[in-house]
Amino acid sequence: MPEAPAPLSLTVNDAAVTLDLPQGTTLLEALRADLGLHGPKYGCGYGQCGACSVLVDGQVARACVMPASAASGRAVTTLEGLGRADSPHPVQRAFIEAEAAQCGYCLNGMILQTVALLQAVPDPDEATIRRALRHNLCRCGTHIEILKAVRLAARYMAEQTS
Amino acid sequence: MTRPAITIWRHGQAGTPEPLLDIAADGRVTGYTGHVDLGTGLRTAMAQIVAEELDIAPGQVSMVMGDTASTPDQGPTIASESIQIAAVPLRQAAAQARAVIAGLASARLNAGIDDLDLRDGMIGTDAARLPIADLLTGPPVSLQLDPDTAVKPASDYHLVGRHLPRVDLAGKATGAWTYVHDVAVPGMLHGHVIRPPYAGRDSGPFIGRSLIEVDEDAVSGMAGFVALVRKGDFLGVVAEREGQARAIAEALPVRWATPPDLPDLSDIPGTLRDLPSEKRMLADRGDVDGALERAATTLTRSYAWPWNLHGSIGPSCAVADWREGRVTIWSGTQNPHMLRADIARLMDLPETAVDIVRHEAAGCFGRNCADDVCGDAALLSRATGRPVRVQLTREQEHLWEPKGAAQLMDVTGGLDANGNFDVYDFETRYPSNRGPNLALLLTGAIDPAPQPCDMGDRTAIPPYRIPNLRAAVHDMAPIVRASWFRGVSAMPNTFAHECFIDELAAEAGEDPVAYRLRHVDDPRTADLIRRTAEDGGWQPGRAPRLTRQGQIATGQGFAHATYVHGAFPGVAAAQAAWMAEVTVNRDTGEVILDRITVAQDHGLAINPEGVRHQIHGNVVQSISRAMGEDTRFDRTGARDAEWGSYPIARFEDLPEIRAILMERPEEPPLGVGESASVPSAAAIANAIFDATGVRMRELPFTPERVKAALDGQPLPRGLPAPADTAPPRWRRLATGVGAALAGGLMASAVGLAIRAEIPRVPRPDNIWSAETVERGRQLFAAGACAVCHTAEGGVPLVGGRPMETPFGTVYSTNLTPDPDTGLGAWSYPAFARAMREGVSRDGSHLYPAFPYTAFAKMTDSDLQALYAYIQSLDPVQADTPPASMIAPVNLRPSMAAWNALYHDATPFTPDRAQSELWNRGAYLVEGVGHCAACHSPRNALGAERGGAAHLSGGMVDGWLAPALNGTGPAPLDWTEADFLAYLRDGVSPRHGAAGGPMAPVVAELAALPETDLRAMAHYLASLNDTGKDRSDAAAPLDALALDQPLEMATGPAARLFRASCGACHITGPVPSATAARVPLALSSAVHADRPDSVIRAVIDGLPAVGRPDPRAMPGFGSALTDDHIAALARFLRQTLAPDKPAWDGITEAIGRARQP
Repeated sequence: MPEAPAPLSLTVNDAAVTLDLPQGTTLLEALRADLGLHGPKYGCGYGQCGACSVLVDGQVARACVMPASAASGRAVTTLEGLGRADSPHPVQRAFIEAEAAQCGYCLNGMILQTVALLQAVPDPDEATIRRALRHNLCRCGTHIEILKAVRLAARYMAEQTS
Repeated sequence: MTRPAITIWRHGQAGTPEPLLDIAADGRVTGYTGHVDLGTGLRTAMAQIVAEELDIAPGQVSMVMGDTASTPDQGPTIASESIQIAAVPLRQAAAQARAVIAGLASARLNAGIDDLDLRDGMIGTDAARLPIADLLTGPPVSLQLDPDTAVKPASDYHLVGRHLPRVDLAGKATGAWTYVHDVAVPGMLHGHVIRPPYAGRDSGPFIGRSLIEVDEDAVSGMAGFVALVRKGDFLGVVAEREGQARAIAEALPVRWATPPDLPDLSDIPGTLRDLPSEKRMLADRGDVDGALERAATTLTRSYAWPWNLHGSIGPSCAVADWREGRVTIWSGTQNPHMLRADIARLMDLPETAVDIVRHEAAGCFGRNCADDVCGDAALLSRATGRPVRVQLTREQEHLWEPKGAAQLMDVTGGLDANGNFDVYDFETRYPSNRGPNLALLLTGAIDPAPQPCDMGDRTAIPPYRIPNLRAAVHDMAPIVRASWFRGVSAMPNTFAHECFIDELAAEAGEDPVAYRLRHVDDPRTADLIRRTAEDGGWQPGRAPRLTRQGQIATGQGFAHATYVHGAFPGVAAAQAAWMAEVTVNRDTGEVILDRITVAQDHGLAINPEGVRHQIHGNVVQSISRAMGEDTRFDRTGARDAEWGSYPIARFEDLPEIRAILMERPEEPPLGVGESASVPSAAAIANAIFDATGVRMRELPFTPERVKAALDGQPLPRGLPAPADTAPPRWRRLATGVGAALAGGLMASAVGLAIRAEIPRVPRPDNIWSAETVERGRQLFAAGACAVCHTAEGGVPLVGGRPMETPFGTVYSTNLTPDPDTGLGAWSYPAFARAMREGVSRDGSHLYPAFPYTAFAKMTDSDLQALYAYIQSLDPVQADTPPASMIAPVNLRPSMAAWNALYHDATPFTPDRAQSELWNRGAYLVEGVGHCAACHSPRNALGAERGGAAHLSGGMVDGWLAPALNGTGPAPLDWTEADFLAYLRDGVSPRHGAAGGPMAPVVAELAALPETDLRAMAHYLASLNDTGKDRSDAAAPLDALALDQPLEMATGPAARLFRASCGACHITGPVPSATAARVPLALSSAVHADRPDSVIRAVIDGLPAVGRPDPRAMPGFGSALTDDHIAALARFLRQTLAPDKPAWDGITEAIGRARQP
């Protein structure tokens, strides 16, 4: 029989957390409101724009369409969990150096999608990069700089592993 | 806070001092500006200007931007004037501070001021050098700004004009930056506003007066509810959490008056010409009328621009904190001081009681909902006495933002006998205002009468030598909310000027670039045009060149503009020129942008990389606008509410972009925020002309519109009208059923008696073994009893869930062992009789919505275990609502006749010819699992049809329950592994995921041992055995190939699908944990005979199903219009099930799904 939702246990940025959430809470709301992680952003609520992206068990996920309950027992990584300003993840470093943001609201999604892309395809060609980012929207038109950042990120990731 | 060591200030408009710059005792510098960073890198450029004047490291400078308590009122951050105007006093203040420091150093070091030099934060002579901070130990210095202070000559610059990394990106790339969306105030509540139906309208007497009633009682018991706030048409709820506020707002019953119709906004020229306007003459020189009479050639043309969305990626957000007669608002506003005045008016406060704390938001490019949401938050905070955060939804931002205004340009012009551009008569119509704050309008605080504004005149004068010129703007009140958007009116005006001069060049038989150059006087403009043409590889010649190979045509187009901002005649910002190269597919009308070459003359570039990014951004955004953006309205208001119906440019749409920064370091810096957008549409239209000979005089240049132009047809706007005009078949059907039922049951019901009551017993508790209760628990799950016996959002197992049947509504009953309202007083024989015969303890008949027809097949021992489990539950008192059935079924006795006809109470008999596994499966499926209750069609009397129809599919709650017997239209056969995956994990990647009423069933089945699930799968697979070889069924699916048709399809519905649904439903190179697991090409719903399940899924979404990684789909009901949903359904059917007939009744299915 259905029971009152049990507290939700998951791992966020390598720390075990337990949350008591009302039913229907999205993973995005849980991360932002309950855990104060503001890297993922609310953009559309329909998984269309990518601003809310996180990694769930290493796969990129759109946190606005993922019920928090679906992350039960899983490992979530947010932008904050990738790296910090003084020790950025190679992909973050590439985006900072390529100045691949204007307002920066879409930046979270661009970075997370790039991390996931480079896991799947370490040395993507231009067409693959564009295809991988096709559902990450940017209104400022920073696309040129973002493409540059992805290519730079691929280099940094390769350097890191070699 | 300690006082700064040095402060430079000026008198503000209210007479109070406003700081411009201060230096703390530790040498850190803070600059203050009333302008804000809209994502263009202004924070960095301003810091760079200050650091340059002070000769210190840019890292020592921070900028406070737009906080009303501490920054000067410099008007809104619009019109690219931040660097040209707002930075001027800041630079002077820095220079003045530098002089103060030099004076201090001179005294300390006993050196002449001219002998001192200031470098990297150190001042002194070659002999002695001090850090600035060492000089700041004396009493604080506070000086009024001296505008005559000498600033550095540009030739001495070593920071300005060079690349400086953006100061904000490290924080933004690591999640440490605080956007307004991230502001959290202790004790903060969450508000959610409910907007009126007149989406995106702001004038007319109905504004603020359309809310009829709202039923607070219906929601006040919902979790997290704090308050409902209503004033005029302003309506908002406040709750403890964001999700709760939204859920309450969505559940709130509200009645609004129907707003008056909008005019037909798809006809932009007709509508704009018809509406009242005030003509304002901007220029009248020479003799226009005479010149037109004398002209060798005259052309009369109209150019039209649609409404565009600003389209901020982050919907607007604000936090307000009302306490003791003051309000603080954390805001992403573009115009903090103007907002402060609006909030003061809304709250009836003096402006000094309002503080706006400005945080960055998503790029706005003009007036979006950033200010509106501040009004919302302020009202909700005052009503609750707590800080309230309001986050608008994507739909609200799309629908309500003041759009970039539509515009109509009517032009007549002519050539003299030598082909010179001799006369130009230009009129532009601009229906816009300054976007009054929505809260002021909704609450009735300001008059919603239509008010025009005067911003339609930007770049209304073309940059050419034309002896006879007349230019006028028709100031018009907005028809829908419309306000400034990047390039304001200059972009449409330039579209007209630059297309028209192209038309004249063609008439004169001259090369378009040479023709422009011959009419330009300004040498900087001429340089810019030449450089663009040279670097772009312009092919001189008369247009159209009509270069083509087969149906593929290529062309080049040119345009140029100087963006002029401010009140007419205004101030020139940077000028830009475009060369566009395009390929046009004449078969499909598709235009591919191959390469854009843009040169810009902006004088001195403060931060050249920043300028380059602005050029890139302007190019991408403006091609997005030109190629595909067009806001649609219906009679009520705006209707595009998400990114599928209003698509913007994506990475794959990007042309090659070459940006050229003209080197003019000796010239004053000019604004670069908008200029490179302005020539875009004309350059592309001129290139399309060069390729095809067809003039596109109205945006956007979608394939359908270009194709129509090529075919000489009127240009379509948006989605084609639904072709689905079939009569509402289901209504006819339903009527038929009702009639048959009335006739059939009326006769047989007569004379049948109610069955005997079985006496109440004390609740038999704690008499069964743990094993029995556990078996009962599993059977309870196998029957998914909890699903029907729990109302949505209600207490588990107490019933009350409405079951829609063709004969009316019946409610499920309380299954808990409460003696009065549940099963607590039921003896086992009473329970068994109900399960086997459909007769309640009191002897009345139960409706067959309760599937006793299946339960009758259960063994006695299983029934006992089930009974034991039910009696072990906690009792809950809860009455069942009475059924409302069509007579005569509401006479429950008539069910006895029904039973006589349709009920077979024989228990399950194993088939000895079959395996034990098969028999176990059959027992579970046909018995306690009662799969046929949903998956078999029912006859006119609501009975499951047997024989070949058994398990051949049915309808439940508006969802299709697909066939389980192999007769369904699923593209792939169901194998045992498929069934097992579906029952165990909630999803079969070869068929579909459990949605609608099946989703909770699958959740319940998790309690069953896998052996039982395997048995069910085995039995069901046996019904599907077609004898075919299924050895390939275990092979992995080629998702890329299966999605190929979705990828390749053309047309507006295909584009809608890809933008709206593609992120989850088209396989890309990156695996996603939120993508759909079932390729739509294999989805049972798409291949079904009816569209209902597809439509239900689109409107209501799907709950999280599937193990071990559950996936959900959001419902798009509030974001997509019926037209959009119908187009998607037709598109999926046509594209993925081309061998199957088109669906009938799509419109009706949407109507049914929309019913609450």
